[in-house]
Amino acid sequence: MSVLRSLLRSQEFVLIVIGVLAIGFLASRTDKLLTADNLLQQGRFLAEVGLLALPMTFIIITGGIDLSVGSIFGMCAILMGHAWFVWGFPLELAIIFALGIGTLGGFLNGLFIVWLRVPPLIMTLATLAIYRGVAQGVSEGRSVKNFPDWFAFIGNGNILGIPVQVWILLVAAILCGIVLSRTVFGRILYSIGSNELATRFSGLPVNRTQLLIYAFSGFMAGLAGYIFVARVTTTRSDMGMGFELDAIAAVVLGGTSIFGGKGSILGTMIGVILIQLLKNGLALNGVTGDATIVVIGAVLILAILINNFITGRE
Amino acid sequence: MNSATHTTPLRTQAKFTGVSLTRVLPLILTVVLIFTYLTLPWVNQPGLGATTAGLLTAARANNEIGVMTNGLALVPLGALLAGLAGVWALVSPKSDRAAGLLAAVGGGFGLQSFVIAFSDAGAEGLDLAAAAGMGFWLSLILSALLIVQAFVPRPAGQTPLGKTFGNQEAVLGMALMLLVLLVGLANPRFVAERNLSDVLQGNAYIAVAAVGMALVIISGNIDISVGSLVGVLATISGSIAVAKAPDGTPALPVEGLIALAWIMPIFIGGLAGALNGFLVAYLKIPSIIVTLGMLSILQGGLIMVTKGNWIDKLPPGYALAQMRPLGIPMPIVFMVVMTIGGVLFLKYTPMGRSLYAVGGNKEAARLSGISERRVVMSAFIGNGMIVGVASILYATQLSVIQSTVPPNLELLIITAAVVGGISILGGTGSVFGAALAAILLNAIRSSMVFINVSPFWLQSVQGILVLLTVLADLLRRRRQL
Repeated sequence: MSVLRSLLRSQEFVLIVIGVLAIGFLASRTDKLLTADNLLQQGRFLAEVGLLALPMTFIIITGGIDLSVGSIFGMCAILMGHAWFVWGFPLELAIIFALGIGTLGGFLNGLFIVWLRVPPLIMTLATLAIYRGVAQGVSEGRSVKNFPDWFAFIGNGNILGIPVQVWILLVAAILCGIVLSRTVFGRILYSIGSNELATRFSGLPVNRTQLLIYAFSGFMAGLAGYIFVARVTTTRSDMGMGFELDAIAAVVLGGTSIFGGKGSILGTMIGVILIQLLKNGLALNGVTGDATIVVIGAVLILAILINNFITGRE
Repeated sequence: MNSATHTTPLRTQAKFTGVSLTRVLPLILTVVLIFTYLTLPWVNQPGLGATTAGLLTAARANNEIGVMTNGLALVPLGALLAGLAGVWALVSPKSDRAAGLLAAVGGGFGLQSFVIAFSDAGAEGLDLAAAAGMGFWLSLILSALLIVQAFVPRPAGQTPLGKTFGNQEAVLGMALMLLVLLVGLANPRFVAERNLSDVLQGNAYIAVAAVGMALVIISGNIDISVGSLVGVLATISGSIAVAKAPDGTPALPVEGLIALAWIMPIFIGGLAGALNGFLVAYLKIPSIIVTLGMLSILQGGLIMVTKGNWIDKLPPGYALAQMRPLGIPMPIVFMVVMTIGGVLFLKYTPMGRSLYAVGGNKEAARLSGISERRVVMSAFIGNGMIVGVASILYATQLSVIQSTVPPNLELLIITAAVVGGISILGGTGSVFGAALAAILLNAIRSSMVFINVSPFWLQSVQGILVLLTVLADLLRRRRQL
């Protein structure tokens, strides 16, 4: 009995059970859900949010939040196209430039949060607007198209039959998982989330750690933006809008406590996969895209309720 | 001496400690300046369209040395000196206030003469009278502001300038005036009456919604679902207004329907707020998550219901925002009434003060017997209802109801509240500046069009404004500690 109880206390387990039930239900209504082709295609789609959710896990574990990832995503997408098309950068350089801009955007977030002690919620809410504004201002509503063929490989190609971006996500997830659970850096993250003051007094490098994770978040947003543009081979200034919702929902669904101090990469990945399959299952069952947004919002709130229930919070 | 009955009166005003050169000089300069200024030709002939350069050329031709000296040297130089003296008086806590503020007035005249000279050198065809008028009124209002600030008691060690710029509403007012002046000089069409009245009214619904947002923010929470809520409530209101009975005729007598169409959004907004409040206050889910989820639920729900269609053929008499009671546009009436109501509620009612308590120090509030759950719940319900009011204003601005709201409307509302003086960290702030901030935001948006800056950069500007305000607020708090 105690095995069952300790399993029930694990959000990942509860999640897998609920997930299997929900997916099973949706799959029973349509025979297209569980085909290999469909699953691989869904893997392609979920890679971008997945890459955003990995650093988001780190950030939420420390008790912070990053609402600007969607805007950094869009800003990097636009700047990459702009640098190549308007400023004449070679495309390889434009890609690196975009990744650099993403890292810089995240770094700025971290800088203000650490140095000026702006609460992460407010800082990233402001940069959500600022970076989206940069995307809109630079692009002026225009799109960049006609990328060379090799460019789309990372978004549309396969290695050994599995989409490229899924490999990237897999490698990134494994690395992040190892960092979180097996390194000092990871333990510092949990420590900051549990009690930041105690962590500081223990002599641990709280400021540097936080700067790193926000910069990492910006970098991943840039990478995800690059993959997205490679997949759809065009740039638009509204790309990535709402992705922060998906990322946060996946992280919270995966068992990371929004108050910090608890969480895992495995849970986040389960959350990402679950949300994508949910969206896909609904779509294949004839539910429109807007209703899907409603479902994700409800899922987010339910996820926290479940989390609170499991951990026995008041 | 019987100390029980004799108490020394507390001194709050600066004591005049005698005459000295540093006190007298600004006064002298200012008097001279005003005198010479008033005797100059262009002040006496405002409507003739004569330019400074033209007058001075004519004066040179007629050998009117007096006019030439006045125009080229005396007034600008004297104004500069008086202005500098005034600035010095403002930043030093020890100076005599009367001298300082008079010198500031003198500096204001100098500002105006600079404005006139600049506009002559710059834009062609600019109406001199308009520029002179704007400059004059600006300097008058600035001086009035400084006079008032100078005579309000201030803590020891704080300079009059510090008092002025520590006051968010004054800063906003000055920023607004400066913006209107500068953009109006660059492009006179900006200050045409039609445009200014649009700027004033266009964001009135945002000012109203900001009052509601203030309730939530002061209590220590946030609500990023208000934008979508406005859209949903506006659609509900419009749907009621065009509702028909099964046989095709309007369901109710038209007047009753319209009142219902105005009341329902407020009621349903309150319900939505109650749901948010319940999740935050009773189930202890952080407000950012609740409202993030609610945002997508409302957004998706809106598109599902409207399927992208707009509601038109609205009945006459429904368009609340286009009415003009007593000649004042309705949006402005709402804006003023809600702002004053908000200020009074927050300052003088127990529930209002409890909001500050809960936002400032939850534990202390709890120990004082304030029920945090009830207070937060009330804040969200109040916000929902006020958003309902705002949504009616938004819905009736045009003769159709769109199926979307301006993107990132919630960010705009939060910006108006924060820039208007509500501290995003909770616990302090006043809604008074929210209306000014909403107008300023609209003025910025409008001015970008008139000075040929791409309006695509608007969101960045808004985000930077919020950030600057928050940083200033944080600095202020640090200094107080």
